[in-house]
Amino acid sequence: MADHPGPSLERGTSVSCPRGPDGGIPRATMQTVCMASQLSPAVAANGLTKSYGPLEAVRGISFAIAPSECYGFLGRNGAGKTTTMKMIYCRIARTSGTLDVLGLDAAVSAREIKSRIGVVTQENALDQELTVMENLLVYGSFFGLRQAEAEKRARSLLAMMSLTGKERAKYKELSGGMRRRLVIARALVNEPELLVLDEPTTGLDPQARLMVWETLNGLRDRGLTLIITTHYMEEAARLCDRIAVMEEGRIFAEDTPAGLVQRFAAAEVLEVIAEPAHADALAQTEAFDGLVRRRERHGDVTYLYTDDNRALLARMAQAGLDSRRHVARVATLEDVFLNITGRGLGE
Amino acid sequence: MNPITALVGRNARLVFWRNFLAWQKYAVSSVAINIIDPFIYFLAIGLGLGAYVTLTGHGTLMQFIAPGMLGMAVMNAGTFDSCWGCFERLNFNGVYESMVTAPVDPLEIAAGEYLWQAFRAILYGTLFLAAVAAFGLIHSWWVLACPLVFALGGMAFAVPGFYVAMIVAIQEHLFFYFSFVVTPMLMVGGVFFPLDRMPAWVAAIGWCTPLYHAVAACRQLLVGAPTLQTGIDIAWLVVFTLAMMFVPRRVLRRKLGN
Ligand SMILES: Nc1ncnc2c1ncn2[C@@H]1O[C@H](COP(=O)(O)OP(=O)(O)OP(=O)(O)O)[C@@H](O)[C@H]1O
Ligand SMILES: [Mg+2]
Repeated sequence: MADHPGPSLERGTSVSCPRGPDGGIPRATMQTVCMASQLSPAVAANGLTKSYGPLEAVRGISFAIAPSECYGFLGRNGAGKTTTMKMIYCRIARTSGTLDVLGLDAAVSAREIKSRIGVVTQENALDQELTVMENLLVYGSFFGLRQAEAEKRARSLLAMMSLTGKERAKYKELSGGMRRRLVIARALVNEPELLVLDEPTTGLDPQARLMVWETLNGLRDRGLTLIITTHYMEEAARLCDRIAVMEEGRIFAEDTPAGLVQRFAAAEVLEVIAEPAHADALAQTEAFDGLVRRRERHGDVTYLYTDDNRALLARMAQAGLDSRRHVARVATLEDVFLNITGRGLGE
Repeated sequence: MNPITALVGRNARLVFWRNFLAWQKYAVSSVAINIIDPFIYFLAIGLGLGAYVTLTGHGTLMQFIAPGMLGMAVMNAGTFDSCWGCFERLNFNGVYESMVTAPVDPLEIAAGEYLWQAFRAILYGTLFLAAVAAFGLIHSWWVLACPLVFALGGMAFAVPGFYVAMIVAIQEHLFFYFSFVVTPMLMVGGVFFPLDRMPAWVAAIGWCTPLYHAVAACRQLLVGAPTLQTGIDIAWLVVFTLAMMFVPRRVLRRKLGN
């Protein structure tokens, strides 16, 4: 594994890199990192592992999440994201290493941690025998909320999640996206300091996803710490101050979205569709005078990462290389993800 | 926290409340199912068979069988939901999975379930008792103490039932518990016939079951003041229930703890 960042928050100072071409550079990165060096982290893990019998789902990860930061975990199916989340929200015990959440040891103070965080699990964990409102009231009661207070909060959360009018609906009567929104609403009923969201927007329509993004941004402005996993790169780029890319139970790379694009892609990418012989020619570094910063090949497509597509196209024409079939676009976190985790399913 | 302190905590009451909210949606059918079964037995055996049979030294068959059916109602109330229902709440309906992301201890979930099963046992037992009263089988005001026996009996069945629900992998496996543990208790629990003509070892096994003591206590309270024997029955139920509560701790940690 190439990069194994320790828990040091100073890593985040690579924010000096230019605004991400995907427009996804988060607003508060600089503040966050500066604040972080003074405040103790909201979540800190060191050498954290989790084994299920012989299977090592998480293999020694270290990270530190600053208060008010939005921290994302990316990774392919089975990379260990949910396992990490479950350890953070005290659903499963770690095998080894340390894990402090809100300054408390997750192995010792699970109850207090749970009372101060909000959790959106990957699988909807709603009480299917209760109505929408009952779900919120019962859940709120476990945090010591009185009925009237819980009901007040529930109504405003339902409004926030566009579920007004569904108070009396049964679980079966809700669509998949509504269930997801209800889980998010429920996670906020105790006014948590830290919100753990495991694929919060999976299954949501574009409007609902926008709404959730707005909500999460609003919460972060109010000082909440967010931890999020997602398979939507755009979502990660928009929301996250920093991202950890997980591979087979380890953190392969950790940086700001823009920093990751810098390190594992480039500002732009030229996708050239070419015959194998042609592709071999494209694979020769010397041909482009260092214009190409990174090259990936998958099937018929060669990905040339560069900071200037136009210059590259001109250079290719000069060299007599056919570039008629190409797509020129800005590089995004999606490229980073694919470059790190591989483009094929089997890899 | 231990299983007994969990029983008196706030979260146990909230789990109880949650179950009540879910139950009220199908309360009518639930009551019907839980009453009709023992009532049909009561009629068939008490009235039907009772027309031919009397129990030497134990009065009419109907008088004998009424508290037996009462015990059976309590046993069913305490067993079925704590097995079938709790299995679903653990594995299918997201009920416990919701609770454990909130600050709720697995022991508090268990405690809430025990209280809930006790309530069900009181409710169904009392309704059945009212039906029995119509047949003129109640001869003492002490019958008003019966709900206490229902509560203790319901819990005595709820605790092992809940444990079974936690350990089985497949819902159908619960039938093993029903068929090999619960139903046989009807044979040896002094429900249909007294144990005094049974071999000593059968009577001994019967004496060890919670059903025997629940039935015996009810039988006495229907006809008169509690005796020393009734006190022993009640004490047995209390001790059995409290002791059993310590059994599911490990599996609870594994399934719902962290
Ligand atoms: N309860 C469990 N018992 C055994 N193995 C498990 C269990 N939960 C997860 N695993 C294994 O741990 C590994 C990591 O799983 P995890 O759920 O953390 O992945 P993930 O990154 O969240 O994936 P996805 O993107 O699909 O949600 C996988 O290999 C999975 O099979
Ligand atoms: Mg997952």
